[in-house]
Amino acid sequence: MTALSLKNINKSFGDIRVIQNINLDIKPGEFVVFVGPSGCGKSTLLRMIAGLEDISSGEFWIGDRRADQLPASERDIAMVFQSYALYPHMTLAENIGFPLRLAKLPKDQINNKVQEIASILQLEHLLDRKPGQISGGQRQRVAIGRSLARDPKVILLDEPLSNLDAALRLEMRIELAKLHKQLEATMIYVTHDQVEAMTLADRIVILNNGEIAQIGSPLELYQTPINTFVAEFIGSPKMNLFPASVNEKKSQKKSIQIIGSNDEFAVDTNQHPPQELQTGNQIQVGIRPEHLVPSDTGKIKGTVTSTEQLGSDTYIYFDSDTIKQAVARINGVASIRPGENICFAVAHEHYHLFTSKGNRIKPTVL
Amino acid sequence: MVRFTKATTAWLLLTPMMTIIIGVVGYPLIKTVYYSFTAAHLASPATTDRWVGFKNYIKALGNSKFLDSIENTAYFVSVSVSAEIIIGVLVALLLNQAFKGRTLLRALLILPLALPTVVNAMMWRLIYGPDFGALNALLTQVGLLAEYQSWLGDPDLALWMVAIADIWKNFPLVALITLAALQTISKDLIEAATLDGANTWQRFWTVVFPAIVAPVSVALVLRTIEAFKVFDIIYVMTRGGPANSTKTVSFHVYQEAFAYMRIGSGASYALIVVLISALLIATYLWLIKKQGNTT
Ligand SMILES: Nc1ncnc2c1ncn2[C@@H]1O[C@H](COP(=O)(O)OP(=O)(O)O)[C@@H](O)[C@H]1O
Ligand SMILES: [Mg+2]
Repeated sequence: MTALSLKNINKSFGDIRVIQNINLDIKPGEFVVFVGPSGCGKSTLLRMIAGLEDISSGEFWIGDRRADQLPASERDIAMVFQSYALYPHMTLAENIGFPLRLAKLPKDQINNKVQEIASILQLEHLLDRKPGQISGGQRQRVAIGRSLARDPKVILLDEPLSNLDAALRLEMRIELAKLHKQLEATMIYVTHDQVEAMTLADRIVILNNGEIAQIGSPLELYQTPINTFVAEFIGSPKMNLFPASVNEKKSQKKSIQIIGSNDEFAVDTNQHPPQELQTGNQIQVGIRPEHLVPSDTGKIKGTVTSTEQLGSDTYIYFDSDTIKQAVARINGVASIRPGENICFAVAHEHYHLFTSKGNRIKPTVL
Repeated sequence: MVRFTKATTAWLLLTPMMTIIIGVVGYPLIKTVYYSFTAAHLASPATTDRWVGFKNYIKALGNSKFLDSIENTAYFVSVSVSAEIIIGVLVALLLNQAFKGRTLLRALLILPLALPTVVNAMMWRLIYGPDFGALNALLTQVGLLAEYQSWLGDPDLALWMVAIADIWKNFPLVALITLAALQTISKDLIEAATLDGANTWQRFWTVVFPAIVAPVSVALVLRTIEAFKVFDIIYVMTRGGPANSTKTVSFHVYQEAFAYMRIGSGASYALIVVLISALLIATYLWLIKKQGNTT
């Protein structure tokens, strides 16, 4: 059973292809997040699902119904806009009840539904106000409330929190997660913020240049990013990529050496010796900042250029022989100064191997 | 150095302008009020201080020709302003759509506005011409008209024909104001309404109409005030004729004061017109204030 199904979806504006070969099945009740840098096509994809934008080629299914030609109003899909898009001359009650009024529901039924939604979203005391008379966070709730009015199959949210300040964003994020549990509605959420994606999603779809880079649960994406784009996009601060070379050991096993360090480790190539690990190849080793542990015997060496104290964490920026502005994330307060030399140790299970082009290399590090 | 308070500075800076305004507007206005209570006649200067009290006003309000001219004016204002609003809004809605040639059409919209009223009036007089007029030629050639008509010579038609000339010149103002308002409507709102299940008509009433109603009503009042004072287009096209059918209040005032040279009674007519205008302007200010409150 799928709620929505996208098969080979493409979208071009004139000669420019902004969405390419999207294949995606979304299960009922799932919370899916589209994430990617600005301009990668998230909104366009969402708008095609909503019916606000034509699909250039491919198939779009809602349940078992082919829906690419279905008008937006008949898709039973609601959307929350980044700008909220509230009707300025209507009260909040009228805004929330508008879809029901258009559906020609009786007045008392509309009122009941509006009351019900208002109590879920804690808007009861504001229902007589107009959008101009409430705060940004409250407007956000009203926009969500309006999208709930018709009990739609699917709710689309396009960067719904990006106009809020940081504290409110966090609060709304938690509420959205609660709301999703409570309603069991299918939600597709667009954001460029990987933290929102990681915290909200059942499944994340990472988009890059109009293509799906990877689909997976937040932890899958964190632990096994399929390429350096995903690796750098998920996680904060972003993953460090060190150049490395493939060496051959006497024991016939291959080893990887991070260039400029004496950090050399073996890889298991017995089962499927991949082409990427030919002796002498240049590859990349990815290490997340939180996996770099300061240690006097550590083999990754660098000179501290600056530090950022967050209280709970310290970010240490350092230049190694081969890369500039590498970053390590240390728990608590670290008393280290720019200009000092520092060594880091890394547990070998935290190495990610990528080809020089950036694709993940499969074998496990020993 | 002398230091002034803010208020003093403001007054000092305003004084030159105030002097000019009082000289140019205030003095003639007071003089007009004064004349309206006298039997002043342009041809005999001695009459300027012959005090007659409210006689001019009483006569004016009982003068059937003046009342007729008010009726003509009301007729002209309602026909031309309502047509300007309807056409202006429709044209703006059209020009707000995306299509080829939109920019050119938007630019062309300025043309009638840029034309001096007198030139516009001359142009339409030529179009309406009974002998060589384009309108006659067009209508006979497409077979709608059997023989050439004297459009401005027919008392039943003349006011309509003048109104058409006025509409052509002034609907672009309404269209431009509306177009500006339409462009402030966020695309998200229209799309949100679409997803909420609104059809084109419902989208117009819930999203577009509320956004343009205030600016359009300002345009409406502005045009009403202007149309109420209509003079030059009448002067050039018909001089109030035929059979006074296009004589408006301004034209009546002009005739009384300068053709018949009865400055005193002309002044009283003028002040009655000013009073009506003032009411219209008050409405305008009230609307502006209301608009300011809602946004
Ligand atoms: N109506 C349009 N016409 C032409 N290009 C568009 C249109 N809408 C979006 N694009 C282009 O498509 C790409 C993806 O845009 P969008 O989906 O808004 O990205 P995102 O939401 O991920 O920031 C961008 O390069 C944008 O310039
Ligand atoms: Mg976007």
